Amino acid sequence: MEAYLGIDVGSVTTKFAVLDEKDELVTSLYTRTLGRPIDVIQESMQKILARLPADLVIKGVGTTGSARYLAGVVVGADVVKNEVTAHAVGASHYIPDVQTIIEIGGQDSKMIIMRDGIVTDFGMNTVCAAGTGSFLDQQASRLNIEIEDFGPLALKSKSAVRIAGRCTVFAESDMIHKQQMGYGVQDILYGLCEALTRNYLNNIGLGKEILPPVAFQGGVASNVGIVRAFEESLKTEIVVPPHHQVMGAIGVALLSHEKSMDNGGTTKFKGFGISDMEYAATSFECKACTNICEIIQIKVERKVIARWGGRCDKWDDING
Amino acid sequence: MRITIPHIGNMYIAFRSMFNGVGVEMVVPPPTSKKTLSLGVKYSPEFVCLPFKLTLGNFIEALDMGAEVLIQAGGPGLCRYGYYARDQEKILKDLGYSFEMVTTELFESKIVGVANLAKRLSNNAPFTRIASAMRFGMAKIAAMDDIERTVHQVRARELQKGTATRLYREAVQAIDDAQDGRTLKSVTKDYTGRLRAVPMNTEIEPLIVGIMGEFFIVLDPFSNMDVEIELGKLGVEVRRSAYVSHWLKFSLFLNAFGISEKDRIHQAAQPYLKRDVGGDGWESIGEPILHRGEYDGMVHLAPFTCMPEIIAQNIMPTIKDRLPVLTITCDEQMGRSGMLTRLEAFVDLLWKKRTSRQMERAPEGRVFSVGLK
Repeated sequence: MEAYLGIDVGSVTTKFAVLDEKDELVTSLYTRTLGRPIDVIQESMQKILARLPADLVIKGVGTTGSARYLAGVVVGADVVKNEVTAHAVGASHYIPDVQTIIEIGGQDSKMIIMRDGIVTDFGMNTVCAAGTGSFLDQQASRLNIEIEDFGPLALKSKSAVRIAGRCTVFAESDMIHKQQMGYGVQDILYGLCEALTRNYLNNIGLGKEILPPVAFQGGVASNVGIVRAFEESLKTEIVVPPHHQVMGAIGVALLSHEKSMDNGGTTKFKGFGISDMEYAATSFECKACTNICEIIQIKVERKVIARWGGRCDKWDDING
Repeated sequence: MRITIPHIGNMYIAFRSMFNGVGVEMVVPPPTSKKTLSLGVKYSPEFVCLPFKLTLGNFIEALDMGAEVLIQAGGPGLCRYGYYARDQEKILKDLGYSFEMVTTELFESKIVGVANLAKRLSNNAPFTRIASAMRFGMAKIAAMDDIERTVHQVRARELQKGTATRLYREAVQAIDDAQDGRTLKSVTKDYTGRLRAVPMNTEIEPLIVGIMGEFFIVLDPFSNMDVEIELGKLGVEVRRSAYVSHWLKFSLFLNAFGISEKDRIHQAAQPYLKRDVGGDGWESIGEPILHRGEYDGMVHLAPFTCMPEIIAQNIMPTIKDRLPVLTITCDEQMGRSGMLTRLEAFVDLLWKKRTSRQMERAPEGRVFSVGLK
């Protein structure tokens, strides 16, 4: 059996997806990046391997997410693709006529506008992480609520409280204020859902033509409270596609399948044995000019396999 | 009197050549670096734009090297940059530096103003000498801009990535070193030839992306995180209408005769914005309309908190039938990787757009695929 592996290494979570030759999902994995992307990739590869049928051969690998280049050299990727394209490819695989994609992850959020299967516009959050998964996590733990219970609890709200959503600092102090006034937890939670969707639509959705079908993916799409708040403010049905949490990984797995068909099935994949290899990332300051760039070196078995971080190409191009 | 100017790309080369030509010593601040930025940020108001912070940092570094006269663009007609000279003067005096701040007020007095400034600083050098020094400085800038245009074409097509950028850096150095017109000409010819000889992929038709937005950020590679080089690495040919030589030519000479290079751009912007909103906001509305059919898309660069570009950015979505535009807001908080992700996604979008357009014309011709099965 031939299969394709997609890896999406985000700032907060790392996602894996394995697709078979018919592009059906064989298995997926969703785990926390824990600030140690290389270790997490190595550990997860073992977990993935244990779930796969013995006759499965990986014919192509793709990486995406903010650590896509790092992940790419660690596993040996055939395709290294940005998150916007990866998510667009993934979403249109499940919802071919999708016109709007809302994607909210741990630290960033984006909106992708598609027409006739082509990305025509996109937006990403710029200076502020308000309304992303990390903030919801933080607020849930402050209220002593499991993040999984956040959505269902918010849906029990009868009259939502208005929370200031412009910035997480204001949102948090406003939430505390409302809680100390005696409002119920579920009303505060749903108020937060409304505030976050309002903030998202005012910032990332600014000037975008939001047409149905609207897909909602990324970790935050698991939160039914946020889904409901989007439906109410956009007055349209929100589709949460299957495997929405790992959609970026599915997207790059699809791209690696396509690449494999183009290049006759050769792959740079280093195999699941990478879990046992010794990887190390070190950094040094380049003093060749006044920019003093911090250069990062990725070593495998004490041999440097990649470097980046400089403004010029002095240290680039040693891959391989 | 040792004079200095803040960095905007390679503009210092022209000014140094001009001032040296009339016997005035110029202190060139170290190339803008993280240290420059830290110094600038430390002594600037938080919500002022990046050009303020960087030029303030340049001044501090130049003052520490012994500069006595600071030259800064200023006066009405710009954006709030017009007031920066006065604010920076106050900040630097408060820090205990002693110097003279000279504003060019280019938009008011044109070529005469610059010549008078050179005359005063050079202790009354004859106007003939000033004129010839200015002409040579302008020729240097024009030579660098010509080379840069060639670099943009080569960078998108070169087989060995980085070759054009390396040759460009060498060429700038050689132009800076040139002492007379003849050397300048031969150096320019030599490097243009070497650039054209770089092994290139002639099969591809690269995407063409225009760069527009706030003048300083567009011209300063440190501020825009080398956006042109990064686009070149992605196989994109960059075009832009803002070049220093072009700007100097118009602002120093031709505007005085009522000739503006921007008329066509303003004309295109008319249905959406009828007047100047300061800075380059009006141009940012006109360019993506004017260059339809000529470019594949445009990258719009703006410093954080830049009012003219914020106006442009907010009008942008209402414009029908314009090129796709990616706005990048530049400030000291902006990360390079965030910018790269956006550029990559934008380039994917443009390729897909072009491919689907070509597919319509020739259904069998598969040109380039970036995904989306």
